[in-house]
Amino acid sequence: MQIEQSEREGVVVLTTSGRFNMVSAPRMKARIDETVAAGNPRIVVDLSGIEFMDSSGLGALIGGLKTARQASGDLRIAAPGEQVVTVLRLTNLDRILRPYASVEEAVNGW
Amino acid sequence: MAGDGYGLQGFAVPEGVEDLHTLLGRAGAEHPDLDPSDLMLFETAVIEIANNVVEHGVPSGQVRWRFTLHVRPDQLEATLSDSGEALTDGFDPTMPDVLAEEGRGLPLAHAILDKIEYTRHDDANHWRMVRRRTPDDGA
Repeated sequence: MQIEQSEREGVVVLTTSGRFNMVSAPRMKARIDETVAAGNPRIVVDLSGIEFMDSSGLGALIGGLKTARQASGDLRIAAPGEQVVTVLRLTNLDRILRPYASVEEAVNGW
Repeated sequence: MAGDGYGLQGFAVPEGVEDLHTLLGRAGAEHPDLDPSDLMLFETAVIEIANNVVEHGVPSGQVRWRFTLHVRPDQLEATLSDSGEALTDGFDPTMPDVLAEEGRGLPLAHAILDKIEYTRHDDANHWRMVRRRTPDDGA
C-alpha cells in the first residue's frame, strides 16, 4: 500500500492506494499515530485508491479514529470503493466511520 | 475453454495471501459470467480465513497450506487446508464491539458465506467455504 500525505485547511489528508491488509495495516496505524502526535488530530483518509481492505485494515482505521478523538480530533474516511463499503457495512463500522463521498466533502464538512 | 478448478500450495505467510488474491483474480478473469460482487465477497471471506491461518497458525511461518477453488454454476466453493496445529479456541461468529481493533475476521467471513465448516483430520485443519452465486436472471 502507498501512503501520501498532504494538508488542506488544517486537515491532514492521507491518500492511500493498493491493498489495505495485514501487511500494510500496522504501517498505516503508525502513520496516523505519528500525524496525531505531531499536533494534527484532524485526519481524512482518502480510500479511493484502495482495491481491497481486510479486517486488519478496519482495525487500523478504528485504532486511528480512537487516537484522533483522544487528541480532540477525528478521523474521517473518503471515497471508499464497493469492497470497502461492503466490509464496513457487514461489520457495522459504517455507524462510526461514515464514508464521505470525496476528500473535499470530508474536509469542508469539518 | 477455462476449467472451473483452481489450486495452489505454499507457506501460510503474507506472500501466500498475495498469491490467493492473484488466483482469485485469475478465476474471475476466466469466468466473465461470474458476478463481480460475488467474487469480491468470496475473495473477502477467503482472505479473512487465510489471514487467520497466517496469524494464528503454529508453528508460525512454517505452516504449509493447500487452497482449492471451484467455480460451480450455482456457487463458489473453496477449501483451505493447513498443516498447523489444531484450532483450540473454537470459532465465534459474533461481531465484536464497533470500537474493537481486532476479532472481525472470522465473523466477517461468516457473514459473507452461506456455508463455513472447520474440520480437523489427517493432521491438518480444513476450512470449507461456500457462497451461492447471484442468479443470472436475478437482476
